[in-house]
Amino acid sequence: MIINRLRRLVENITIPVLAVILGLLASVFFVALANADPIQTYRNLFCEGFGPQGCETFSDLVIIRVEQEDGTSQSFFSPFYGENGHSLAIVIERATILILTALSATVAFKAGMFSIGMDGQLVLGALTAVFLGVWLPKQIYALAGVPDADSAPEALRTIMHLIVPLICILAAMTVGAFYSWIAGFLKVKLNVNELISTIILNSIATQVAIWLIAFPLRSPDPNSTPRTDRIDDTAWLIPFNRVLLPDVEWLEGARVGIGIVFALIALVVIGIYLYRTTAGYEQRMTRGSRLFARFGGIPSDRAAIRAMLISGALSGLAGAIQILGVDRRVVGEFASVGYGFDGVLVAILARESIAGILLVACFYAGLQQGATNLQFGNLPRQLGGIIIAFIILFNSMENFFRSNIARLQSRIRPNRGQAAPESASGATS
Amino acid sequence: MPKAVEMRHIRKFFPSSGVLACDDVNLSVEKGEIHAIVGENGAGKTTLMSILYGLVQPDEGQILIDEKPVRISHPNEAIHSGIGMVHQHFKLVPSFTIAENIMLGIEPNKAGFINSTTEAETVRKLADSFGLPINPNARIADISVGMQQRVEILKTLQRNAQILILDEPTAVLTPQEVHELYNVIRKLAQGGRTILLITHKLLEVKDVADRVSVMRRGRLIGTHNVADVSIRDMANMMVGREVILQVEKKPAQPGDIVLKAENLLVAGSGGVPAVFGATLEVRAGEIVGIAGVSGNGQTEFIEAIAGMRPVEGGNISLLGTDITHRKVRDRRNTGMAHIPEDRMTMGLNLLTNLDENVAVTRYQEEPYSKAGFLQFSAIRSFAQKIIKDYQVKSARVGEEIKTLSGGNLQKVVLGRELDGNPKFIIANQPTRGLDVGSIEFVHKTLVEARDKGSAILLVSVELDEILSLSDRIIVMFDGRIMGVLDIKDANEQDIGILMAGGSLEKDHPAQEKA
Ligand SMILES: Nc1ncnc2c1ncn2[C@@H]1O[C@H](COP(=O)(O)OP(=O)(O)OP(=O)(O)O)[C@@H](O)[C@H]1O
Ligand SMILES: [Mg+2]
Repeated sequence: MIINRLRRLVENITIPVLAVILGLLASVFFVALANADPIQTYRNLFCEGFGPQGCETFSDLVIIRVEQEDGTSQSFFSPFYGENGHSLAIVIERATILILTALSATVAFKAGMFSIGMDGQLVLGALTAVFLGVWLPKQIYALAGVPDADSAPEALRTIMHLIVPLICILAAMTVGAFYSWIAGFLKVKLNVNELISTIILNSIATQVAIWLIAFPLRSPDPNSTPRTDRIDDTAWLIPFNRVLLPDVEWLEGARVGIGIVFALIALVVIGIYLYRTTAGYEQRMTRGSRLFARFGGIPSDRAAIRAMLISGALSGLAGAIQILGVDRRVVGEFASVGYGFDGVLVAILARESIAGILLVACFYAGLQQGATNLQFGNLPRQLGGIIIAFIILFNSMENFFRSNIARLQSRIRPNRGQAAPESASGATS
Repeated sequence: MPKAVEMRHIRKFFPSSGVLACDDVNLSVEKGEIHAIVGENGAGKTTLMSILYGLVQPDEGQILIDEKPVRISHPNEAIHSGIGMVHQHFKLVPSFTIAENIMLGIEPNKAGFINSTTEAETVRKLADSFGLPINPNARIADISVGMQQRVEILKTLQRNAQILILDEPTAVLTPQEVHELYNVIRKLAQGGRTILLITHKLLEVKDVADRVSVMRRGRLIGTHNVADVSIRDMANMMVGREVILQVEKKPAQPGDIVLKAENLLVAGSGGVPAVFGATLEVRAGEIVGIAGVSGNGQTEFIEAIAGMRPVEGGNISLLGTDITHRKVRDRRNTGMAHIPEDRMTMGLNLLTNLDENVAVTRYQEEPYSKAGFLQFSAIRSFAQKIIKDYQVKSARVGEEIKTLSGGNLQKVVLGRELDGNPKFIIANQPTRGLDVGSIEFVHKTLVEARDKGSAILLVSVELDEILSLSDRIIVMFDGRIMGVLDIKDANEQDIGILMAGGSLEKDHPAQEKA
């Protein structure tokens, strides 16, 4: 049993790792096209993505030697070396949203619903959060009879710090869930393909968002590009490096806050939901064979709708956390970044496994982060995208790899087998 | 006789299930012969043939085709060596036409454009040359299973197969279709092709094969001339003990009415009515068999009773409760169990593991779940119990179910459905794909359930099975129930007349003469 599990684990890890290596190799072509040195480029990519400050070689990713003031030098285990901030902290910041959107996709996929509506749900969730984060505190100040935030009593502000974000988050989750429900309803009642309906819903949400940001919710500041007001400080999920852990240098520059805790909780809760509860069982059984689900008496329509609601709520949560914890306002381009689609890719790369999502989200976030910083060199930012695209391509060639590995094994083994048939068969009987 | 196929010292171990599926197997098949392979469920028949077809790589061993050693590491290489295989579970594209399926991957094209007229023409010529008439433009989804099989065979012939592997080709066929298939096979063999035939129906082996190889637990324990062995010998060799081929049962003692269907109207797949006002009663402690040529409304009738198909008119009651429009779950809670015709898509979910498959009808009850949380230990022990009681070979709890052999999959379904004394059992082709030993066991189990007071509705394409298990037999033709026969008065001839739409009443002298 345990050996089997181990074997399967190795099998499941081999192909993604192989895909990453092949993806990096294939991308060398484009690096060369941009007239850059591949080794150096990848070194920068990984240092910027995963390394500590001052990371310059691949080995710095593991052990970094730092010159002390007194002229001696000392070695540190890189992931823990946080002088002036660490890229891994930013990886966590970026991974938060990826984890949530990937979970969102996974929950839908596990019910046999190929929904890619994460983007639309996330954008609407973000807008809900930003609207409430601006509007709600204003209402509360008006009710309390204070002119602005600064003159509000300390006690009121403390209470607001606790409940305003909570309300924003719950509202965003509700909006996301509702938006996702539409696709589920269309599928179950009218048999509308959920892939198509979510694509359409995404583009509707994007357009609505662009309009909302450009007109009703636009910040009155006349010379800015279209963007909303900044949320009130009481709605802000303040990053750890400002409040709880101000002395941890490792976190410097990273807007890592309570959001990652939410994401990790979501991972655990969704894991339990999918694999331990009867509700999760229902939706997993619905996938693959609806006929089987119906035959066994599983209310598969209900299970599919439930999956869509949960999926939407998670995307809404992702949008809310990105706004309340990181961006604090919605800018015009937000709607077209594609956080939701990144989540879909993470879910696919992780093969919809819960632990896999955590790993892949961090890896993906690091690549994104490294690639963004590459553009400070002479390389286009798109390189990161190209590498990621290649990795996904190779990863999806799973069957090709599997059959070739099997074939390879059979090429090697028969010779061995024929060389010593007696001993081999003797061992088994 | 030159040898068409020789497999030497083939060994295959599946680490994931811990099964030695082929253990030093030596098989030799002469050119132009029909060679049957028989053996218990999970004996390794499909695996051995998959190795020959390049779908599975052996750990050890050698394959010779036409007395030359070959290495077959992919079905393409098998096809290249002139081997074709028709699988236990068909692999056709339902939304494609017959011609498109046959020509899949080898389409005649001009600059990349497929010419569907030539495609259809090629296929028609091919079919005619083998005397296997088909309509190349019909879609797979619309044709009968027997026809689909013909398409699979033509597909291999189009690829010029000289060695044809058929994995349980008759399991899903009606007797008429079986007859036609064997004519085709004989003709192909006479034309010099070599046929490898896996089957559980020993009568057919006697009927059509020249030689037979028996497999048991991964070993090939002998090859015989069919003329030299009896059916009983074969059964005993397979199972390793004496098999009782006859069902032993006492006369039924029917009790109260359990299921009642009145004037049922049910639509078929295309929306056209398939069942016209069928009325039926099944009592506790009896087995009612439904006989009929496939496609005369039995499937629709059964599915309506099971809740898998809406009822357009009439009503159904189970133990006094009106269930006409109730959901499957309500029906099951009232006491229904259902062994479906199609285990691959309806009976099981092949994407998941054994535990999850056996839990499907019970996951909401204690002890299998508590307060919305699954209780794995209870589910596990239930799975364990099925594995033990039904001798599901090489199954392990928590393992993926798709690696089980066809017959073992069927046993999982049987175990799940028959456990816990259901009051009403729908058994649609309950022994499809089972070996003789398992058939004996399932028949015994069904009779036992009857004697404990279950009402059983049995559907089978095997008239033998209907005759030996049922206490009453109803015959369907063209969506209507043509007659109900008590087993004491039933004989094959009468049933045959009813199945063909005739009538048994004496005041039709014209028919009696005919
Ligand atoms: N891919 C696989 N992985 C693990 N085990 C397998 C796999 N394929 C087959 N087996 C196991 O090998 C054994 C032989 O299976 P096989 O399908 O060859 O049986 P069979 O003789 O065709 O039986 P049946 O009459 O039921 O179809 C079974 O116990 C099965 O569980
Ligand atoms: Mg088989």
